[in-house]
Order: sequence, then C-alpha cells, then structure tokens
Amino acid sequence: MGGVEDDEPASKRMKLSSEELRRLSNGSTIKETVAGSSGDLMARPLQSEGGEEVVGSKGVIKKVEFVRIIAKALYSLGYIKSGAHLEEESGIPLHSSVVNVFRRQILEGNWDESVVTLHNIGLTDEKTIKSASFLILEQKFLQLLDEEKVMDALKTLRTEIAPLSVDNSRVRELSSYIVSPSYCSSVRSPKQDTLRARSRSKLLEELQKLLPPTVMIPEGRLEHLVEQALVLQRDACMFHNSLDKEMSLYSDHQCGRDQIPSQALQILQAHNDEVWFLKFSHDGKYLASSSNDQSAIIWEVLETGVSLKHKLSGHHKPLSSVSWSPNDHQLLTCGSEEVIRRWDVSSGECLHVYEKAGLGMVSCGWSPDGKWIFSGLNDKSICMWELDGKELECWKGHRTLKISDLEITGDGKHIISICRETEILLLDREAKVERFIEEDQPITSFSLSRDSRFLLVNLLNQEIHLWNIEGDPKLVSKYRGHKRTRFVIRSCFGGLDEAFIASGSEDSLVYIWHRGTGELIESLPGHSGAVNCVSWNPANPHMLASASDDRTIRIWGLNNLSRSVKQKEPPSNGIHYCNGGTRD
Amino acid sequence: MDVDPRLYEQIAVNDNDIHNIVMSYLVHNCFKETVESFIACTGMKQPSDHLEDMEKRKRIYQFALEGNALKAIELTEQLATNLLEKNKDLHFDLLSLHFVELVCSRKCTEALEFAQMKLTPFGKEQKYVEKLEDFMALLAYEEPEKSPMFHLLSLEYRQHVADSLNRAILAHANHPTYAAMERLIQQTTVVRQCLNQEHGKDGPFSLKDFLKS
Repeated sequence: MGGVEDDEPASKRMKLSSEELRRLSNGSTIKETVAGSSGDLMARPLQSEGGEEVVGSKGVIKKVEFVRIIAKALYSLGYIKSGAHLEEESGIPLHSSVVNVFRRQILEGNWDESVVTLHNIGLTDEKTIKSASFLILEQKFLQLLDEEKVMDALKTLRTEIAPLSVDNSRVRELSSYIVSPSYCSSVRSPKQDTLRARSRSKLLEELQKLLPPTVMIPEGRLEHLVEQALVLQRDACMFHNSLDKEMSLYSDHQCGRDQIPSQALQILQAHNDEVWFLKFSHDGKYLASSSNDQSAIIWEVLETGVSLKHKLSGHHKPLSSVSWSPNDHQLLTCGSEEVIRRWDVSSGECLHVYEKAGLGMVSCGWSPDGKWIFSGLNDKSICMWELDGKELECWKGHRTLKISDLEITGDGKHIISICRETEILLLDREAKVERFIEEDQPITSFSLSRDSRFLLVNLLNQEIHLWNIEGDPKLVSKYRGHKRTRFVIRSCFGGLDEAFIASGSEDSLVYIWHRGTGELIESLPGHSGAVNCVSWNPANPHMLASASDDRTIRIWGLNNLSRSVKQKEPPSNGIHYCNGGTRD
Repeated sequence: MDVDPRLYEQIAVNDNDIHNIVMSYLVHNCFKETVESFIACTGMKQPSDHLEDMEKRKRIYQFALEGNALKAIELTEQLATNLLEKNKDLHFDLLSLHFVELVCSRKCTEALEFAQMKLTPFGKEQKYVEKLEDFMALLAYEEPEKSPMFHLLSLEYRQHVADSLNRAILAHANHPTYAAMERLIQQTTVVRQCLNQEHGKDGPFSLKDFLKS
C-alpha cells in the first residue's frame, strides 16, 4: 500500500446538481454543498444526471468509478496538481466533502470531531462505524498517554472506548498500558511529533481499509486491476516461456511460438555409439550424457555454446543413466547391470566405485543433502550407501525392475521406482509407507518434476501420463503424438515454471507439448535416429537437449539465428552460436 | 444395586477417631465456642494454643471474605510474620482483593495508584503478568460487573482467597492444612465413583443421597 503521504485537497464547491437539491430539501444533515458524486452514500448506486454513465466498449465500467480511481492513482504517484485538476475538470471529486473533512480531522488529530464526522458520512453498517470509532479513540488514548495525561486517558478508555464493546482483548491491552507505561510499545523519544504524525497517516490507511471502498478508495486500486489483467494474460499464454518483466501494457501478452526452442543450434558429436541418456545439471551450467559406447561425457554450457569438458571412461558396460549430485559438483554414472561410479565434475576423476557382489546396478540417485547414494539392483532390491561405500540400508523384494528409473523426492523421504510392469512404487522410507501408481499399460520410464509434486510416466502404448503424487496419486493429463514401439523413450518437464513437456520419439523427432492443455506445440526434425532422451535446461527455458541413436546430441534453442554448426572435438574448432536469453 | 451395606458393618470404628475427625473440622473452620463445648462433652484433651490463634485466624478469614484485604494482611503479619513474603501468590491475591474493592467503589484514581505501587512490581515475573492484566482490565469498564472479568468481583473468588490464606496460616504453624473430614469425604466420593462404574451404574456419586440412605 502506498507510503506516500496522502494530502489530497478538499473538494471545491461545485454547482449543485438536482440530486443534491433534492437531498438538501429532505432535511439532510450534510451542510456543505457537495458535488454530484456517488461517493457520499454507499452501496446504493446513484443516478448522476441522465443516468449512470459508462465507459469502455462493453459498458461495464462506470465512469464515475473510473475517474475516481484514476484520480487516486495520480495522487499516489505524487501528481497532486494533476489529481486536483482532474477532479475539477471532470466534476467528479475523489472524496465527498464530508470525507475530506474527515480525512483532514484525522491527519490533524481532532479525534472527537472526527468521530462525529464519521457518523455523518452516512454509513449504514453499525459494526463498521464502531470499529472505525474504536481505531480513532484508541489513537486518542495512546496520544493522551504519550502526553502523560493518564487520568484523561483512563476516562477515554472507560467512557468512550469500552462501551463500544469492540475487541475486548485490545481493551485489556490498553488498560495494561495505563498502569505500566513500560508495556506500551510507543517510544518516548524527542522525535515524538514525527512519530505521532507518521502514525496518523497509518491510522488513515487503516480506516481506509475498514470503510467501504465507495467512501474511500483503497490504496493501489488501479495498480491492482492492471496487475490482475496482466496475470490473466500470462496464464492464458500458451507459449509463455519468457520472463515476466517482458510483459507490456501496450498490447496483450501473447508469446509466439518463437519462445519455444525449435532450432538445432548445435550438434554434438563425441560419442561413438547410440546416446541413451542425458541430463542438465541443476544449475544448468553442465550437461551430462551417457552412451552405449560405455562412456559418459560432461559438457559445459557456456555463452559461446556447449563444449566438451570431460570424457568419463571406466565402465565395461553401456551406461544406462547418469545422476547429478544436488550441488552439481559430482556425477554418478550407472552401467547396465554393472557398477556405479562417482565422478568429480571439475577434474573428471573417478572418486568411487559402488558395487555389490554378485549383483548388478540398474539405476542411481542422490539424497537431496548429497550424503547418500541410492541404487536399484538387478535382484529387484534398492540399496542406500554412504558416499564412502558403506551400505546403510537395503529394501528387498519387488522394488524395482531391471530397466527402471530411480528418483528421490526433494524432501528426501520418498524413493520412486518402477516395481512391476504396470506399477510405480512411491516408498516413504522413514514412515515405511508404500503408495502406488497403477497403470493399464507397461511403464517404460518416468521423470520427476522439480518441485517433486508431479511424475511424468511414459507408457508402452505411446502415451505419456502426468500424475500428481501428493497424497493419493491422481492422473492429471495425457500427452500423445510421439512414437514408441521398441525402445525406452524418455520425456521431461521444462520451460518457464516447467510449463512444457518434451519427449523423444522413435520417429527421430523431438516432441513438445503444453503441459496445461496437453496440446502438441512442436515436433522438431533433425535427428536421423530414434531420440532416446531429452533434457530441458533448468536455468534457461530456451535451451533443450536431445540424445539420439544417431550418436549425436542436439542442442535446441530459439529460432532467431541464422546458422547451426556441427560440433567436433575439441570444441574450440568451428564457430557456434548460442541463443541469446540465458537466465542466470 | 448399591454395595451391600452388610459388608462394612463389620468394621469397627473407634470413638476417638471420630472425635478427632470432628475436632479437625471445627478447628480448621475456627468454630471456637463449639470446640470448647465439644471438648467439655467428650472429655478430649485440649489442644494447646489452638484457641487463641483460632480466634485471630477467624478474624483474618472474615476480613478477607469481606474484601477488607488490608486489615487481613495487617493481622496476618502480626500473627505469622514472613508468611506473605514466602507466599507471593497469596500476597498478590490479597492485594488484588483490595484493588477490586477500590474499583467496585469507583475510586479509579486510588485504584490506579494502588495498582502502580503495589501490584505492578509483581509483573516482573512472567507468571503474574496475565493475572495482572486481568485485574487492570477492570479499570477500563465503568461497570466492572458487566466486564469480561466480572468473576474477579465475586464472592466465590474472595472465598477462594480467604481459604488459601487460612491454609497458609495453618501450614505456617505446622498444623494440617486440610480438615480430616474434608479429606475423608473426598476419598469416599472417589471410591464410590469407582464402585459405581464397576457395577455399571451411570451418574456421579451423590453424597446427599448416600447420607439419606
């Protein structure tokens, strides 16, 4: 609410309208002449001369209200003269003269008179009158205490405040202030005058909130209406993938398709075989990819483009997945039914190998505090290790499958994995409670949203299902269009506020849907083999990466650049462009 | 069905025990003349200094009950020095009685001054703050009987304070703070309650009914 000192001038004398003459002749108590406005009395809409005037094409905006809100906004912005001018020119005063008198009395501290004026404003709700009187008299009481007129303050409390029967607990507090001024929060300082003056405009603000808006327009009303419109526009924008500060008042906000990454900016060729998995780090500065060629690569995302940082070799089996540590300093790589390796991102060194005798790992994940490693094993159990390799816990039984993802929710409490062909297990490892997502079709992969509230599930029948996993799992949306027949295809959340869903597909296209409506927005050609996995940069809503059987990784960005270039090792050769709008 | 009376008719009750029980009640409540007659009738041994103190204690209790707290405090100080110092809660309650008196007689200024001098020092300790606020709130109302804190003006409240004072004085002189009679009735009630429940009877134990049966 506005902190600007409110000092609107009293309304000027205006020509009496027929309405006013009628009211005065009825013996109205309002002595001052008041310009024709609907501000004097509340709810009942007044007829100005010639009926209610409206503005705007739909005829729903009342002219008087519109002008008053603008005047209020002008005053809040500090344009006093403009505000006064508007009142005069339009003949519509911001406040009726009674209200102006009231405001002045409050700001000057004429408490008793202001209470009288309050009754003259013409409010019908007894409760409001009493609450407003309470606020004013409370101020009077505190002021008397400040002036050390204790008996006067007591008298006010007893004879004026308590009989209102409003807020007995506050009355109690006020009594305690009388007895022991040290309880009182007001500070005795040489700046007493400024303190009291400042609190008077606060009092006015409080009264403003209490009184009906027709009497005194609330602070920031025009700004609030405009914000409402902007929010509505933003929510309706389907391709909304740009930062909010780009919203303008000049035209309705509507992102075009151009906000969605749709052009391959870079093609990264560094793997020797099919690329099965890739994922951006949490801070969006790195990308990790893993391949059938038994290696993983850490790529660095720079202003100039994505370049290779480290190639991680050491596995003897194809790598099924990778997992970034919560602080992005380390990476886990998982060999298919083999071991898990933990790598240091900056040096590329292998820090530890996790294995279990006689068994092979199938998936890997981190606890949100980075202290523990989780893994699914090919005997269908899930294990938990400390970083140094000490096994802490093992959940046996049908917890996971040989081909399954593994995710830990952001609170560290739930482990998610595919436990049966058509079932996903949500295991609360502390409370030892199990919940399940049941599907009709076999599940091939899943992906957890950033806020851990939603799960995106890929099915055998080429559908992607979105589930809300808070409480009892509920199916929210379905996405269709991509192709999947033989392989594991992965999808992901992405874009601003994760408003989009992206997926790979066996027809070598990358598919992008609008999460809310389920509508297919883009299908991006370019790869020459099945697209196995996609990952959307969490820090840059305009960057998407896809991994394909054609051994390449494509980096997709906004379609406003002229060239896309092939990427060879080492990355310094060749010229590459990157999309402009990286968020920090 | 009531518990079979025949079961307890077998138990012998000593006359002396009964005399002591009655005496404890009379002494606790300061019925001095009755105590004297009772002693004469039963030939009991006279309790040593009970009588004189009993008279004083009786007067203190009366003053407290009336609401004349200052007099009660004065006499208590005479009878049992340091008692109020050691029982701060009680001291506060007594002073608050006086405050209530002033408020009821509409002597606001006096009440305010009294509160500031005597009651607010207690406010330094957190446990008194809320009680203090309760009493101070009385000042805000021209008709304290109609305020939310009207129970502080009631006879029940004064009785509660007077009882506490009585017990404190007895304790100070190393006498039992509860009359044996009172204790016995309390225990009987509880036992009866349990028996009723066991036999599946509803409703609380009614002493009145029991005494009539």
